[in-house]
Amino acid sequence: MSIKSTDRGPPRAAAPAGRPLRSKLARRRRRAGILLSLPAVAVVVALLGVPIGQAIYYSMTNWNGITATWIGPSTYASALTDPIFWRVLQNNGLLLLAIPFAIGIPLVIAALLNEHVRGWRFFRSVYFLPTAVSWVVIGMVALQFFALNGSLNHFLADIGLGSVKTNALAGQGTALLALAVTFVWSMLGTNTIIFLTGMATLDPTLMEAARVDGLTRWQIFFRVTLPLLRRFIQFSFVITVISAFSALFSLIFVMTGGGPGLGTTTLEFFIYQSGFAQSQFGTGALYGIILFVIMIVVGLVQLRLIRSDDGEGW
Amino acid sequence: MRRLRLAAGLAAVALAAAACGSSGGGSSNASGPITLTIWHNYGTEQNATALQNLAKAFHKLHKNITVNVVSQPASNYFAQLQAAAISKNGPDLAVMWTGLFTLQYKSFLVNLKGKVPAADLARVDPNALKWTSDGFDAANGPYVIPLENQFYIGFYNKQAFKKAGVSAVPTDWTQLFSACKKLRSAGYTPLVYGNGGQPLGAEFYPWYDMSYMMIGSYSVSQWQGLYSGKIPWTAGQNAAQLSQWAKLKSSGCTNSDVLTNTNNLGQFETGKAAMMVDGTWDTQKFTKALGSNVAAFVPPYSSTPIKGVVDFAGDGLSETSYAKQPAAATEFLQFMTTDQAAKIINAAGLIPAINGVNTSNPVNQEMLNFVSKDHMTVYPMLDNVVQSNVVTAGSKFLPSVLNGTISVQQALTNLKTTWGQLPANSRGSTYN
Amino acid sequence: MATATRTRKRLANGWIFVIMVVVAVVMLYPFWYMLDNSFRNQAQFDQQGGHSLAGWTQLFRELPVGSELLNSTIVCAAAILIILAVSTTAGFAFAKLRYRGSGMVFLLVVAALMVPLQSIIIPEYVNLAKFGLINSYFGAVLVYAALGTPFATFLMATYYRGISDELIEAAVMDGLGYERTFLSIALPLSLPAIATVTVLQFIQIWDDLLVGLLFLPPGQRTITVGLAALSAGRTTSIPVLMAGSFISAVPAIVVYLIFQRHLIKGLTLGMGK
Repeated sequence: MSIKSTDRGPPRAAAPAGRPLRSKLARRRRRAGILLSLPAVAVVVALLGVPIGQAIYYSMTNWNGITATWIGPSTYASALTDPIFWRVLQNNGLLLLAIPFAIGIPLVIAALLNEHVRGWRFFRSVYFLPTAVSWVVIGMVALQFFALNGSLNHFLADIGLGSVKTNALAGQGTALLALAVTFVWSMLGTNTIIFLTGMATLDPTLMEAARVDGLTRWQIFFRVTLPLLRRFIQFSFVITVISAFSALFSLIFVMTGGGPGLGTTTLEFFIYQSGFAQSQFGTGALYGIILFVIMIVVGLVQLRLIRSDDGEGW
Repeated sequence: MRRLRLAAGLAAVALAAAACGSSGGGSSNASGPITLTIWHNYGTEQNATALQNLAKAFHKLHKNITVNVVSQPASNYFAQLQAAAISKNGPDLAVMWTGLFTLQYKSFLVNLKGKVPAADLARVDPNALKWTSDGFDAANGPYVIPLENQFYIGFYNKQAFKKAGVSAVPTDWTQLFSACKKLRSAGYTPLVYGNGGQPLGAEFYPWYDMSYMMIGSYSVSQWQGLYSGKIPWTAGQNAAQLSQWAKLKSSGCTNSDVLTNTNNLGQFETGKAAMMVDGTWDTQKFTKALGSNVAAFVPPYSSTPIKGVVDFAGDGLSETSYAKQPAAATEFLQFMTTDQAAKIINAAGLIPAINGVNTSNPVNQEMLNFVSKDHMTVYPMLDNVVQSNVVTAGSKFLPSVLNGTISVQQALTNLKTTWGQLPANSRGSTYN
Repeated sequence: MATATRTRKRLANGWIFVIMVVVAVVMLYPFWYMLDNSFRNQAQFDQQGGHSLAGWTQLFRELPVGSELLNSTIVCAAAILIILAVSTTAGFAFAKLRYRGSGMVFLLVVAALMVPLQSIIIPEYVNLAKFGLINSYFGAVLVYAALGTPFATFLMATYYRGISDELIEAAVMDGLGYERTFLSIALPLSLPAIATVTVLQFIQIWDDLLVGLLFLPPGQRTITVGLAALSAGRTTSIPVLMAGSFISAVPAIVVYLIFQRHLIKGLTLGMGK
């Protein structure tokens, strides 16, 4: 069965069959919508929503899991006036600067793969493999790569830049940079697969038409492919930001332990270090709520920025 | 879609069946076969070996008790224990760190006074029991039976000292700096730092050095002032000590990559480095690698000859309040105080915390001699008697002080700020 | 003229091939590192020279690798089944069957993506402990399913939006209910997205440490928790860790290779060629 919707012609539902038919359809659609979306909502509310609510409560207490001593909203006040907290937020902000790379590079790779050059299927398989590797291994490899006598410095020496020896993980700023590079590397596989999936949904006749019109490959990429991939770029942006803010814990733990100083302590790591590791779960809940709010804000911002042209915002 | 839902349903049923079938565990009948569960976070090192051998020996003595030793990840270990206490579903015995850690988690630990007979408790090094009791007074009853006595200590390579012409072990800052100069000229890394032996990703642990800097400044009882704020972290004496310490790197006493060197243990073991500040958990490794060439010394972080040494039972076993086999658990704790247990612990390269027991490793014995023969004052580990938030902050900033990338003032101010954010009952004049 | 274009194209393709090879090397390096260092003992690792079987023999001595792999598989499979069941239906509903307030509900579900695990895990634990779900696979499976549902729903909805409304409405006009339309038309079309969700969720659940650590009893431990227990204490035997990580990575790779084929099938179906 072909899915080309254009084959079917104008839908019969547009026929002016009168009000009763349309509203009955609408009711059925509504009922089906509620029914089908109910399981997911139930799961999310019961297993995610309820704990968030509890976390909001506990964030205003001193809680070790068993006894909770009420403190009140002043916990938020003291957290938000803590200079260490702002230093940590700064790290998150800097990490955001890596997002364009974490999305742009896979876009290019997916486009290259989409050209179907010989062996592209093999490469497609290979590029995704790093996603299967645990953060511990990635962190260890990164440690070795950025070390004083590690691969990066060897490479620099090989190409004649031997004087630019770096001890990346010893400085606060450079350690964050090394972390960002490792993060971008780790997102390549996932984002490439997302964009490849997206590119496969594109109507090839559009591409053909553009080529016939005389556009070069790059022009086609920027003017035709990218806009059509808007949904997928939006999707990738959201999960990349979420990864950066809440999935890097193991990597940071293995690579730098949050240091040196506060150099690579993102808010996520800070939650672990200030709350979880010391069984001060109220503090952990507090910073977790703050992180949650920040991510929602970032999500809303990107919704504005990458709004679809056809008015199909979410 | 329906097929998927059906499959999910089947899976759920299968899981339920499996779960019901696998809920093993012993009966509560004391004379029937019992399983005693012990959790530890020792990984695969000597402590784990000692514990496993203790379990085996205990089983031989009590044939009806099977001891199930479970290795838990070190990261999140205490959160895990906390979670087990919430659901009352966990081990009978658990490894617990002493000092403030014990006090923090005592709500689900059993006070052993009256449970373990006083005669057995008397066999344990009284210093060890003191730091696991309320208010750090052993009369209140300990919560932890220590596994071993540990030292934060310095190790040095005797041959390196001889070759460089260092005739006497340094006992204060000045002698240390001059020894460093000699060692550096003789081609050695005088004092090597690195994160080998630490959990992955960490920098070197600064609290060994910090303990000795505070030993060189204050008496044991004065350390309470660091907890209560009577001696603020930004005090002049602390700053002076840290400045001296930072000079170690800037004057060439250490390697240049103190924050990222991963092979410091290897460099000491192969004789490239002359000195290292470490602890008893590595003694056996060093004696294996260097034989009689390695010896212990007290890190001389003092302007006057250093007079104290960190001799502390850092961890041991506790009985949980929700233990399913409390009787068997207490018996195991009693067993830990016997001479047989001491022998097993010693064989694993550790120093037993039992009175009057000698240790077979000569370098460990040197450390014991610092106390018994040289009459050095016994200090606890500083990171066990300072609030955990402050320890965390220190672990973050102090290594960079040595590296020269953070100023002494900045680091100490961070410690003080962190201390200031603690609730009042965590920084009072008694340990809580 | 045509020859020149063909040559230019061949040259461009050549460059593309080179770039792809370079990227492949960069991507595969950690695998090489893992394998290379797993065949060493601790001393050989420190010196970075020499090989032996020490890492592998020690791994199998220290860990019940087989049973832990099985536990990981059970937990992953059960959680993914639940995730797929709820996310395909909800994704379709949010994309095609919009009702009043569904936009809001969708946003809420997706917002749940952003909940940091460490702040909710203890309340979650307390709740599930009350229901006695801690001492079996159940608790962990439920938590994993909940954690994966927002992402899966988001992806499925994104994908379903690409199916034209007319297609759905036409099927409904033909007499199929919306539910049947979902089952027989929309669901088969979304195989690429299902494959993507499966692969990504499999990896995420397989590599998770915290939930497995807290919610699974030691007898039902996953391989990831088992490996973490190895790297406890002050010394980590890196070769053993590398061997374990390699074994742990294999199932994820297998899952990917299996579903890759469905991904292709789904993608070519989508092309309608």
